[in-house]
Amino acid sequence: MRLPTIIRLKMSRRGFLRALVTMIAGTAVLKDLLIPDKVTAQAGQLGMPQPDELVDATLKRLFGSRGFQRGDDKIKVELPQIAEDGGSVAIGIDSSLPVSGAVALSSLYIISDKNRRPMLAKFSFTPECGRASVATSVRLATSTDVRVVAEMSDGTLYSVIRPVRVTISGCDLPPQS
Amino acid sequence: MAEVGRVNIRLPSSIKQGEVIRVRTLVIHPMEIVQRDKANKIVLKNYHFIHTMTVAYNGKEVMRTELTQGVSQNPSITFPLKVDKPGKLTVSYADTNGKMFETTIDVKFT
Repeated sequence: MRLPTIIRLKMSRRGFLRALVTMIAGTAVLKDLLIPDKVTAQAGQLGMPQPDELVDATLKRLFGSRGFQRGDDKIKVELPQIAEDGGSVAIGIDSSLPVSGAVALSSLYIISDKNRRPMLAKFSFTPECGRASVATSVRLATSTDVRVVAEMSDGTLYSVIRPVRVTISGCDLPPQS
Repeated sequence: MAEVGRVNIRLPSSIKQGEVIRVRTLVIHPMEIVQRDKANKIVLKNYHFIHTMTVAYNGKEVMRTELTQGVSQNPSITFPLKVDKPGKLTVSYADTNGKMFETTIDVKFT
């Protein structure tokens, strides 16, 4: 095989092949070091588990450095003070913030500070909803602050923080029979 | 879990034009949570949970919810809907196995 001129000047054919194999092997090793495991690599994308992170990192990821205004007078949050079953904690949110008009509520987030993956749900509204009001059931890993964040169409953020005591963790697997 | 994907929609018994009603939905789904093995390492697998719920009224999307594994098993979500005219309400769910579940219900004034 005739090697390109530039390589033939510096090394023999055997040397070139050896160098090539080393480069390929090296890339394979680097790939495993640089690319984290599949679960975390795509975390945060729709359909993948949320990233395993502290709540401050979640807030930064979702809202950047925008500050939160106290939303207690604008957002009513219904949560039990003590949740017996952390796997099914009922939460109700009702807000007087408008869902239509120039500055409207675009999304409501439910965040659990002490869950490994604090982002629990995000509800997005349109004027056809009529009101910013939702109810659902969430999993709380342990006694934690639950944070409800309302994001307005102009970027303003309101938050309500409510502590919940949890007796049985919602993130333990049921016993395998 | 034989009936994974069954969707229930509940409407109020009385619906007046222009009213904002509360619609209750339920979907049967395991919403698998991330497992850790005995060494406390994450079990790598394709976790089976619903990631999106979409609500459309008369063909137009009116509400969207991003769900995570932090939502309880068999997710129940109650959302609001302003009914200015009668029509068809469709609730659809998409899960991580690529499956879509949906149900349509008629909304009529009473």
